[in-house]
Amino acid sequence: MTAIPLLEIDDVTKSFGGLNAIDGASITLASGTLHAIIGPNGAGKTTLFNVISGTLNPTSGHIKFLGRDITNEPVHRISQLGMARTLQIKSVFPNLSVRENLWIAAQSRHGVFKPFARARNLRPANEKSDALCEELGLTDLANQKAANLSYGDVALLEIGLALATDPKLLLLDEPVCGMGPAETEQTVEKIRELAKKIDVIIIEHDMEVIFNIADDIIVMAQGRVLARGTSDEISNNADVRVAYLGDDLDD
Amino acid sequence: MELVIALGLNGIVWGLIIALIALGLSIIFGLLDIINIAHGDFFMVGTVLAWAVFDVTGNYWLAFILVPVIGFGLGAVIEFLVIQPIKNAAALSIVATFGLSVILQEGVRATYGDVPNRLLPPIEGTILLFGIEYEIYRLFAAAASIIAIAGFFGFLHRTKFGTWMRAVRFDPETATAMGIPTRKIYLVTFAVGFAMAALGGVVAAPITTVDFQAGIDILPFCFMAVIIGGLGNLGGTVAAAVLLSFIEGIITSFADPTAARIASLCLMSAVLMFRPHGIFAGSMR
Amino acid sequence: MNVTTINRTGIGAFVLFTLTAPWLLPLFVDAFWVDIYSEILIWSLLAASVNLLFGYVGLLSFGQALYFGLGMYGVAIGVEKFDLGFWPAFGFGVFLATAMAVVTGALAVRLTWHYFAIITVVFSLIFYFMALSWKPVTGGDDGMPFSIPPVFSMGDIEVSFTDPTVQYFFIVITVGLCYALLGRILQSPLGRAFATVRENDLRATLIGLNVYAIRLSAFVIAGFLAGVAGALFAFFGRYASSVYMFYHVSGEAVVWAIIGGIGTLLGPIIGTGLLIILREELSSVWEHYQILVGVIIILTVIFAPKGLGGLWARLVEHVASRSSHGGDVK
Repeated sequence: MTAIPLLEIDDVTKSFGGLNAIDGASITLASGTLHAIIGPNGAGKTTLFNVISGTLNPTSGHIKFLGRDITNEPVHRISQLGMARTLQIKSVFPNLSVRENLWIAAQSRHGVFKPFARARNLRPANEKSDALCEELGLTDLANQKAANLSYGDVALLEIGLALATDPKLLLLDEPVCGMGPAETEQTVEKIRELAKKIDVIIIEHDMEVIFNIADDIIVMAQGRVLARGTSDEISNNADVRVAYLGDDLDD
Repeated sequence: MELVIALGLNGIVWGLIIALIALGLSIIFGLLDIINIAHGDFFMVGTVLAWAVFDVTGNYWLAFILVPVIGFGLGAVIEFLVIQPIKNAAALSIVATFGLSVILQEGVRATYGDVPNRLLPPIEGTILLFGIEYEIYRLFAAAASIIAIAGFFGFLHRTKFGTWMRAVRFDPETATAMGIPTRKIYLVTFAVGFAMAALGGVVAAPITTVDFQAGIDILPFCFMAVIIGGLGNLGGTVAAAVLLSFIEGIITSFADPTAARIASLCLMSAVLMFRPHGIFAGSMR
Repeated sequence: MNVTTINRTGIGAFVLFTLTAPWLLPLFVDAFWVDIYSEILIWSLLAASVNLLFGYVGLLSFGQALYFGLGMYGVAIGVEKFDLGFWPAFGFGVFLATAMAVVTGALAVRLTWHYFAIITVVFSLIFYFMALSWKPVTGGDDGMPFSIPPVFSMGDIEVSFTDPTVQYFFIVITVGLCYALLGRILQSPLGRAFATVRENDLRATLIGLNVYAIRLSAFVIAGFLAGVAGALFAFFGRYASSVYMFYHVSGEAVVWAIIGGIGTLLGPIIGTGLLIILREELSSVWEHYQILVGVIIILTVIFAPKGLGGLWARLVEHVASRSSHGGDVK
């Protein structure tokens, strides 16, 4: 556990046209805790992830990752600094095999601008992708095209892609979205394991899932931080209940 | 000085004709997401049909009415046979329209030969304008284009079908969900695009040569108007067409028109790079 | 018999055919077909440049004729105006094409989808018009014939394109090297990166790949290939003309690539070969054979968008799975 905070979100605003999707949010996250960001639809959670990972630039404010200002860094540079991310709509490389998917993510750490090397001979990436296949239980499917995988396996693969980049921080955007109870359990277990080695921030809708695994819960509503605390503190927070119950709007 | 005025006026006349054609290109691009490489050839078919009708009937005005109708029909057939089936391979649409262009050019060449034809203006004579004697037909051509363009905007904004078209342009999924017959819209859009190009062809036929290659030069110009004017910005397309053609006309009076063409292309590149919405305000996307 | 074996055999047969063609072909057809075959190989490089960008990286360029033209003019102007020898002129042509690809690519690959296609045409049109009007230097569309310097000369020994065998094998070796180079790149990490950018550029950037740089690399390599094609073409025909920089040429290259099968290494040769042979055979029978070509283009897009290469791949897989003894066919 270092003194440098994992992530510092400093008075960040993101506006689209006249609408502030994030409105002056300031959050500091420490390393070593599993953080969760929850909130009703339209609270700005995914936009926050977008801003942190560089997919969007904030309209104002700063983001620091392990002490380093990454506010306007391009997405790939932020990934190279050790941040990995999954998306709400599972995003992998459909026409490549599972192994090829993992391979390229692993190779990204060693550089791809090697036009004369033979990809199949590169040990580090080969070993990493094989190891990840094992770890995720995808070895049987290693040569299957990602497009042919079941939804749950695609989700696993996407986490695998993130892990292949040896991240220090893993951002998971609604990791159990669209899963049945069994798959959800499996995935939650996986996340719990991962969180022992890597810092994890999860966006989630489902309070149950969060209360089981997260030590630090941040509740967002209308682009701002509404409340923050442990699962006990949050479940007893009146503002949070109002935000959720008083908000029937489906985005 | 007289040359400059004449060329400037010619530029405006041509700009209006091109605007008419480019509007057709723009709606095809905007609604169907298709780069129609054959659009110049739609214009060419219009000129050829105009000449053919005149050749058979001796009546230009009959051509004026018939050709856009034929163009509409051809456009509908092409949309049904070629465009609709490739909706899944959108990236390849440019290849399909390239094939279409080849068919049209060679087809016309096969039917009418290599030798260009001339169609004499149905209105003869000149009129004193800005100190020069200017062909009345060209003024008619400009007027006809303006009326056609106005009619197009009227159709787009005042009729139910036009409103549907704009809805589909804006958000095809929601439009379908609302019960708008999107398939029909696509068909009509493409047909209207062809018809407008063909009408441009009829109007232009007496002041240009009628041959199978007439579309080759028109195509880049139309694209320039659409891009510089701004995709989705139909008014911008008209303005860009007239402006570019007028400027090119003026430049021709003292320099190689190729230089003007190159300058326009450079402007188009700049717009694509830095302001893909075009240089006129009020564009949608 | 698995997929790799079948493909390797096919390639082997093809290479064998190419190496023996100057003696094999005249046994069955007219000798000028050897020249046609040389032309096919040269033009296939242009199709290959389109294929690299579209099939592997997902960028449809409709303006590769620009780089072809620069390769062509580099050679012609180099020889005719600067008195360059064979190799310096060759190098000059390829250099011009590649340099232009770097500059235009830096701008063009910032765009995607239709805008990318459009800007590639625009760039090629700009230089087409320049070539067309700059007659004193380029000969415009009248063309610029030139006499070809020897490939190699030392004392009494002179190796030159005027010897048809030299010409043929120089072309074969150069084209072969280009495909070998391309094949090597495609099997490298960079080649894999191309595929990821094509498949999902957002995901690619999220795993730390510099998508812009990857696209630009492909664009420059494609420009290089087109430039080599143009240079070879100039040497082959001892001629350069602005006609070959027009967007119609770019369009033809796209057609060849699509019909041959995009995303396959040798598809471009098949597509180019088929259409040029079609042109040779049909043009004597029917003056307006182009109409048929147009129909074929449209039918291919509708019914076989993966082209002949795609059909071949399916056929090969089918044969391979049939001949494996009841193995797991997923």
